[in-house]
Amino acid sequence: MIIRSSNQLSRFTLIKRFPVPRNFGLGSKSRIERGRTWPASNEAKRTKAFEIYRYDPDSGQSPRIDTFEVDLDECGPMVLDALIWIKNNVDSTLTFRRSCREGVCGSCAMNIDGTNWLACTRFIADTGSPTEIYPLANMPVIKDLVADLNHVLAQYEVIQPWLQSEAPRPEKERLQSIEERARLDGYYECILCFCCTSGCPSHWWNGDRFLGPAVLLQAWRWLADSRDEAVEERLDRLEDPFRLYRCHTILNCTRTCPKGLNPGKAIAEIKKRLVERRS
Amino acid sequence: MPDPMNERRRPQSPNIQIYRPQLTSVLSIANRISGVVMSVAAVGLVLWLLAVAAGPETYAIAHNLLTSVLGRIVLLAVTFSFFLHLCGSIRHLVWDAGYGFELAAIYASGWAVVAASVVLTVAAWVAGLFMVG
Repeated sequence: MIIRSSNQLSRFTLIKRFPVPRNFGLGSKSRIERGRTWPASNEAKRTKAFEIYRYDPDSGQSPRIDTFEVDLDECGPMVLDALIWIKNNVDSTLTFRRSCREGVCGSCAMNIDGTNWLACTRFIADTGSPTEIYPLANMPVIKDLVADLNHVLAQYEVIQPWLQSEAPRPEKERLQSIEERARLDGYYECILCFCCTSGCPSHWWNGDRFLGPAVLLQAWRWLADSRDEAVEERLDRLEDPFRLYRCHTILNCTRTCPKGLNPGKAIAEIKKRLVERRS
Repeated sequence: MPDPMNERRRPQSPNIQIYRPQLTSVLSIANRISGVVMSVAAVGLVLWLLAVAAGPETYAIAHNLLTSVLGRIVLLAVTFSFFLHLCGSIRHLVWDAGYGFELAAIYASGWAVVAASVVLTVAAWVAGLFMVG
């Protein structure tokens, strides 16, 4: 079927997983074991099972998958509501990031039913049975669903995401025409949830040096800014077989962006700009 | 300050083990696999030419191998790989020119690549069997 926007769910799924073993390629610390089940209370009429990745750094044990049966009549409609319900009513040690609960902060990005999305903007009704929740894919795990973003944020720093200008500072704001401002649309809205970078196979295999879609979309956001004067330096920093060109246009990024942005297109624009600069 | 010792002990969350296969990722890996298949097939083509050059006996062996059931399955796979790689690479060429990045276009072109590869493979085999018998 044709997917028209990233929030659209596939109506049918041929295979749920790539044909690799569950713990394929995972180091001994990362292997996932079966955890415990927390059954619903007897009064619950409408329940749904949530399989959730757990890891407790203090226990010295391997990560595990716990199953929670959630009373849907007691719980709000979104996946984040279910997580909060579990934390309030079942296991208060369940750990996850959340803040705005309306898709503008990017804190509750996680892997839900195999794709990265914000827990606050995914309906429980749109998830499978059981709902499967993991931390953002391919990240070091601090605890449970809390991914360690230090590395990707350090990569963000590489592109120097601030306005750079040699021109004398104007008395008031730096003006842009409507057209110049419009060139930032689709790029400035990024909330840095890193759903795209975490869903990018190139970043899985070369994440140490490939900057990943989130950071490269930001790189284009500054390249496209009419007020910025560091275009050449920015392009110099990106022209690298790994930093930029490990992108093989797989486009999992564009498919998964919870804000409906297009990192794949942003990266193509950077590549085009580099070609134009040479000729 | 992050403690590097502590960081090193953190588990890595799974990636390909849990990530849902999507048209985007599946066609990407299919393009790579079809490329590998054709690289191997190129060696087969050279072996076949060597067999032709070596004389009628070796050619007969090669011919029997290729027209056996297994040989035909392999040839079918190579033909499909050829067309999949061809169509997929045209799609990449369009992307590299900066077009077709809207999600609907990504999916439409993806399914078009799948359909075109199947149709071209069938057409090539029908034409081949019709001409050669």
